[in-house]
Amino acid sequence: MEMTERHQHGEHAEGKATYFYVWGALIVLTVVEIYLAYNRVFPNPLHMLEVLLALSVVKSVLIIGWFMHLKGETIVMKWVLMGSLVMCLLLMFVFFVDAERILKLGTGR
Amino acid sequence: MADAVVHHPSEAGAFEPPFLGAYSKKIGMWLFLLSDSLTFGALLFAYSYGRIATTNWPTPFGQHSIINASVMTACLLSSSVTMVLAVLAAGRHDRPWARNWLIATMIFGTAFIVLHAWEWNGLRAEGMTLSIFPAIPHAEATEMGKQASAVPQFAGTFFALTGMHMLHVTIGVIYLGVLAFGRKWLPVMALAAIGTFFIPAWSTFHWLTYPIIGAIVVIGIILWLKPKQYDAPDIEVGGLYWHFVDLVWMFIFPLVYLMSTRIT
Amino acid sequence: MAEHNEHAGHEHGAPTGFIRKYIFSLDHKVIGLQYYFLALASVFIGMLLSLLMRIHLIWPTAHIPLMGEIKPEMYLTLLTMHGTFMVFFVLTTAPQSGFGNYFLPIQIGAPDMAFPVLNMLSFWTTFVAFLVMIAAFFVEGGAPLHGWTGYAPLSAIPSAGPGETLGADLWIISIAIFCIASLMGALNFITTILDLRCKGMSLMRMPLTCWAWFITAILGLLAFGVLLSAGILLLADRNLGTSFFVPGGLVVNGTQIQHKGGSPLLWQHLFWFFGHPEVYIAILPGMGVASQLLSTFSRKPIFGYKAMVYAIVGIGVLGFFVWGHHMFMSGMSPYSAFAFSLMTMAIGVPSAIKTFNWLGTIWRGRVQFDSPMLFAVGFVSLFVSGGLSGPFLAQPLLDIYLHDTFFVVAHFHLIMGVAAIFGIFAATYYWFPKMFGRMMNEPMAQAHFWLTLIGTYAIFMPMHYEGMAARPRRYSQLTEVAWLQHLMPVEKFVTYAAFITIAAQFIFVFNLFWSMFKGQRATDNPWHSTTLEWTTATPPVHDNFGCKTPVVYHGPYEYSVPGAPNDYVMQTDPTPHGGHVPKEDKPLEAE
Repeated sequence: MEMTERHQHGEHAEGKATYFYVWGALIVLTVVEIYLAYNRVFPNPLHMLEVLLALSVVKSVLIIGWFMHLKGETIVMKWVLMGSLVMCLLLMFVFFVDAERILKLGTGR
Repeated sequence: MADAVVHHPSEAGAFEPPFLGAYSKKIGMWLFLLSDSLTFGALLFAYSYGRIATTNWPTPFGQHSIINASVMTACLLSSSVTMVLAVLAAGRHDRPWARNWLIATMIFGTAFIVLHAWEWNGLRAEGMTLSIFPAIPHAEATEMGKQASAVPQFAGTFFALTGMHMLHVTIGVIYLGVLAFGRKWLPVMALAAIGTFFIPAWSTFHWLTYPIIGAIVVIGIILWLKPKQYDAPDIEVGGLYWHFVDLVWMFIFPLVYLMSTRIT
Repeated sequence: MAEHNEHAGHEHGAPTGFIRKYIFSLDHKVIGLQYYFLALASVFIGMLLSLLMRIHLIWPTAHIPLMGEIKPEMYLTLLTMHGTFMVFFVLTTAPQSGFGNYFLPIQIGAPDMAFPVLNMLSFWTTFVAFLVMIAAFFVEGGAPLHGWTGYAPLSAIPSAGPGETLGADLWIISIAIFCIASLMGALNFITTILDLRCKGMSLMRMPLTCWAWFITAILGLLAFGVLLSAGILLLADRNLGTSFFVPGGLVVNGTQIQHKGGSPLLWQHLFWFFGHPEVYIAILPGMGVASQLLSTFSRKPIFGYKAMVYAIVGIGVLGFFVWGHHMFMSGMSPYSAFAFSLMTMAIGVPSAIKTFNWLGTIWRGRVQFDSPMLFAVGFVSLFVSGGLSGPFLAQPLLDIYLHDTFFVVAHFHLIMGVAAIFGIFAATYYWFPKMFGRMMNEPMAQAHFWLTLIGTYAIFMPMHYEGMAARPRRYSQLTEVAWLQHLMPVEKFVTYAAFITIAAQFIFVFNLFWSMFKGQRATDNPWHSTTLEWTTATPPVHDNFGCKTPVVYHGPYEYSVPGAPNDYVMQTDPTPHGGHVPKEDKPLEAE
């Protein structure tokens, strides 16, 4: 972000506690995921998938932002890396159009 | 962190400022991770594609599997914290503690690999296996194994995804070992390779021999061409890789395990 | 960051000892040449295979020395390996890894690539991939026959044909190794461009060649990772008993396959997600070279530098959105086909921008038709001829008719194959003096150009007509088919043209090696170009600029600047109008 490399140095020194908070948050999120899945809180698999993936995206934001320090990098770097990654992954959703058609064509097994 | 902005101390200012505001090695690792996340992304999309296009996808994982996988997840998450602490210590030029935290990370990583390979052995013994895998002596097909092998795609995607991830964790542990011990790590790896080689060939642990031997060759060449003492930026870059491995698991765990828990 | 300095090689002298200097060299120039010669070897393998195919197409029962008669399976093997060698080991290797490695650091004023060890590893990994691919010829059953696209289920079932056993495994392993090598190369290129530009070399002062290599590297980085995972899955399907790409109930050679539940369409999606960017990986470096050469030899600034940069970026980005146009025939959803069709036609816009800017660059320039320029013009010509058939194929309705015919063969050979090869030739003739300190023989180069240009047009133009007359591609023997009899004279003409064109390539190879040792000695800047590689010694010293880093004051293409004493202003010239004639010290006498 606006932080330059030098600020980042300072942030590291103060940030030991932060990492434990992040770790705690990740553990809690994982426990929530396990609870949701194991107790079938959402009977519809699609809903379950959406919730689990949303939680996973939150977890990955925590990991990328804090553990991998992307939070402290320049704004260009954030956009370049995350933008191209998200674009390419979103593109792959086109695959699913055909996956569903296979079912409808009745050749699914 | 030994600072990034000065790339070339002998002639600071001879180059344009770095475009992404970080030192080259970090950019290189980020770019590799970008590409690798697309590799994993494509694998996960292939898995989801298969899952959408297949009716009656089995959901065989019971309590035992889920507990095991949760412990593995906790191992990886904790290893990420120790990794960050190693990076912090290296940033303070505190080499002994940087090394200690690296060792802690490697222990967590190894625990993950051991638990995972163990789980593979168990699943294969229960009948959820692939045709190429050698048969496990005293294997006994269980209800879970029968369910899982009703759709061959299930075992295929499971072993392909988690196998690829386990390979990354193995490489990660080896990589951190090089950062922590430099050249002295090679004989340790050689011992590990010999050790895993003498585990019976049907066991998943035996297969670890091959990536370790490959890594010995590559690391040998690199250390021969550019012997050096690894410093704080190297450890930070290694940390990026390690956190990425953790990150990938955050998607494999819900998609492969949690979405396949047994309906009770 | 002390170690960064080590990479840079400033403190280090040139390595001594044969192995460190020529085998495991960390010098980007040596690695570039290693790539170049690897591509040269591969192009001859690929060319030999295409020659055999052309012979088989008109004399199907001909007896080939050492091989005997070519069986239909053998024809498919030739087709597969021709495509594989040409696409992966020539079109991806020579323009990007070869010339890019050699000239990218020099053109941006860097002492070396950002990660020299990684660079070395990436070459040797490529070499391992090459050896594994060669090995596929010699295993039992021979090389695979699933085409360079490796379409499942043919590629996923070992019992599907003679080459589909061990040969296909080796093919996939080789491609996977190649992916890893390309990843290493790509991230090295990107990091070098982002971090090692010398003072004054802002992004918008980079030569267009560097822009092309940059975008190509990004494409490689994002695309090869996906091919790697596709390869892993295919290997798993073949050997681990999984079933990602094999549909249920498939009967091959009379036996039912045990796999069930996979989808061949998934392979096509994954493959073409890589495959279409790969097309631009092959052609973009050629575009960069053509831009550089047209400007240099017309003695005019490039027309619309910024537009050219944005067009390259635009092509790179759009290149990711269009992979589906390879699959109109595959039973893809018509809705996504519609979207892919639109995006594909949109790529015509940046391509047209480039073409018109090239024409604008030549327009009213003082054009000098030296051999590099001839090949650059040839590149533009082939790019236009091959590109114009693109919009036809981009439309699902037309594509369904044309897709499995020679029309497609003609289209992609002109635009991806021959045009990219012309880019390689142009780059070779242009940079040879810098690489080897000697000029290439001009009369031989001119003969090579005219024979190749006319020859390739004679080969591929008639194929368009054959395609429209519904001659299918990938078929081994159509000489006996009644309704294709009227095309036989065309087929014969194409084969004879291929003989002549292939013969002409020996002029090039002879010229290359002869000039390396006997050519006229070159000066430091024989073409009066402005970019940084022409300010350094010939051939460049170990760290490119002799322990100093250049400073850049000008854009890359300042030719015929009004008020300047010379008709070109070097990028390193500190004066605004180039009064300062560059007279760099020559630390090394060539050889």
